[in-house]
Amino acid sequence: MKPEKQIKFPVFTSGIIQYTIVLLAITIVVFLCRPLATQQGYHIVSFILLFVVSIMAAFLGIGPILLASTISALVWNFFFIPPHFTFNIAATEDKFMFGSFFIVALVNGVLTNRIRRQEKLVREREYQTNALFQLAEELSKARSIERVLEVARGNFKNLFNATSFFILQDGNKNLGSYNQHVNEPFAEIVDTDIVKWVFQNSRKAGKYTDSFPDSSLTYYPLKGAQLNPGVVAIEFNKSVYEKNDAFWFAYFTQVSNALEREFLGELALKARILNESDKLYKTLFNLISHEFRIPIATIMGASDTLLMSHTSERNREELINEIFKASGRLNHLMENLLNMSRLESGKISIHLDWCDIIDLLNKVVKTLKLELEKFQFVSEISPEMPLAKLDFGLMEQAVYNLILNSCQNSPAGSTIRFEAEYENGFLVIQVEDNGPGFPPDTLDKVFEKFYKVNNSKSEGLGLGLSIVKGLAEAHQGTVKAENLLTGGARFTISIPTEIPDMIEIKLE
Amino acid sequence: MMNESNTILIIDDETQIRRLLEISLTSNGYVTLFASNGKEGLTTAATFNPSVIILDLGLPDIEGLELLVRLREWFTKPIIILSVRNSEDDIVSALDKGANDYLTKPFRSGELIARIRSAIRISNEKGDKPVLDFGFLSIDLVNHVVRKKDEIIKLTHTEFSLLSLLAKNQGRVLTHQFLLKEIWGYSYLEQTQYLRVFIAQLRKKIEDNPSKPELLITESGIGYRFGE
Repeated sequence: MKPEKQIKFPVFTSGIIQYTIVLLAITIVVFLCRPLATQQGYHIVSFILLFVVSIMAAFLGIGPILLASTISALVWNFFFIPPHFTFNIAATEDKFMFGSFFIVALVNGVLTNRIRRQEKLVREREYQTNALFQLAEELSKARSIERVLEVARGNFKNLFNATSFFILQDGNKNLGSYNQHVNEPFAEIVDTDIVKWVFQNSRKAGKYTDSFPDSSLTYYPLKGAQLNPGVVAIEFNKSVYEKNDAFWFAYFTQVSNALEREFLGELALKARILNESDKLYKTLFNLISHEFRIPIATIMGASDTLLMSHTSERNREELINEIFKASGRLNHLMENLLNMSRLESGKISIHLDWCDIIDLLNKVVKTLKLELEKFQFVSEISPEMPLAKLDFGLMEQAVYNLILNSCQNSPAGSTIRFEAEYENGFLVIQVEDNGPGFPPDTLDKVFEKFYKVNNSKSEGLGLGLSIVKGLAEAHQGTVKAENLLTGGARFTISIPTEIPDMIEIKLE
Repeated sequence: MMNESNTILIIDDETQIRRLLEISLTSNGYVTLFASNGKEGLTTAATFNPSVIILDLGLPDIEGLELLVRLREWFTKPIIILSVRNSEDDIVSALDKGANDYLTKPFRSGELIARIRSAIRISNEKGDKPVLDFGFLSIDLVNHVVRKKDEIIKLTHTEFSLLSLLAKNQGRVLTHQFLLKEIWGYSYLEQTQYLRVFIAQLRKKIEDNPSKPELLITESGIGYRFGE
């Protein structure tokens, strides 16, 4: 609900104009009524004069109305009550008439004027209530400090045609200007000394007030229930300023409360993030110190032994092999950590391109050749499988992690199955194994970072599956884990994708 | 002895990597030259005109890709990038700017030696042989005939162009964009689905086991390489 534009009472603001109108109106009435009076008698003129005075009372201030009442009484006497052109009144009844005319004109004018003022006040109140209501409604929807400021500024501009400038504290009572970018030229006229004074003393200052009246802006403190968000500086004209203090207090309290709400929300969020990252840091630290130490110890020990001259040829070869394996393991750890942090920071850029899933799987199988040797690997992809729009490298990594996970958790000789199909706009990839599956209560945790089932001794940081999740999500897709009735686990990645219009492809 | 075909200039600022490369390259019969920054690299390359340059992208003075461009202004022999940067974007842009090959650190020395060999071979073989022979597969570039174990394989015109382009650059990664531009033309630069379909078709025709391709090797997110 939007309050209407304020109706301007009185229309004639300047005093001189009002008095001129009074004199003019009465002169015209006198001039017009002269012929009428000769025909109909002078009493009718008094009614016309009374009528004109009460009409004027609806538009003019109290001063001009008093003047109008007096002059109209005198004029009636002078021009119309016999003897004409004197202030003498011959008849006694006319003396009464004159007296009552004067009183009626006066009372009529004053009362009309008072009603009008009352009405104006009521309108003003309604307007203010609407303004507050509208502000409250808009502020309740604003869900960030920036948005609250935007709403407050917009509302202020709309209703009072005044520019407002918010200077907020940073949470440690340091005032920084929050919205310089919004109205740059205005920012320069904000006086930081006054802002500080207002913030510290929690009192209004600046133009139209007792403190710093030379300033071009008026400054109000923003007071919240628990903290004071800052100060607002406003450039407005006197008539707007002269709304009552209670209104401005209510208005700015609303803004303050909304700001405070968002302030506290942000602080709570920061605290939570800090807390979580602290927890993560500890987990990571423990894992890294453990997981990295083993391969490093292997490399150091093996190379140290190699440096001693009396090592047999066979042992040398074995030691070199150990170094090679350990470095591979370190590399894998590092890649996983890097990938995780890239995914989390959103720094992975995803290049969707047409991919051949068969080609992708073949690549993964080739990379995992050694690990897969111990298993029966079955892949079920229809030869008609269409190309899918994916990031080849990232999806390759996801499939790699899933198959590697199965290899690490399944007994030698068991079957690992890979399936891929295109189904109603989704590419669905499944990897199944015949391992122990997951304890039922852990199914929703397996994709968490650094999570290892039963703190299993298996090597690695517990990042592989969370990377799969991150990669699937980077493709707007999902991944889920479930236990098979026959034992073993099944992972399903589904990713929304398009398929190419094959007719378009010229096969020549 | 330094001769035309076995001098390798390594531009890398890390001492350990330089030492490692020195050992593995010299034990494979190459002569090594070193530069630890871009400026030194430029002057050493100009003075000795090595047969291959191995370039690290993270040099202290000149941005690696810029150095690559500056070297390419006159240096026509192979440049192999050896870098810790492993994003597809970095690799593709280095290949597009004239690098012949790209290996990411950590790398396997055996892999590096193989890449150096094939890079040298490709750059020496520019005398356009009429027939490319890969043992069980031969490609007759003049008569457009492909034989697998002496059996003629029917290829469409596009299939043949794609295969011979990759084969002529055996061992070298050709990016998707490059292949699309060469075979289909500029307006097809985004149409990777053509490439995927044709590679799959070619594999079925020429590979012994299309699910374990050994000739047409996929380089994830980058392009294809004709295997050794």
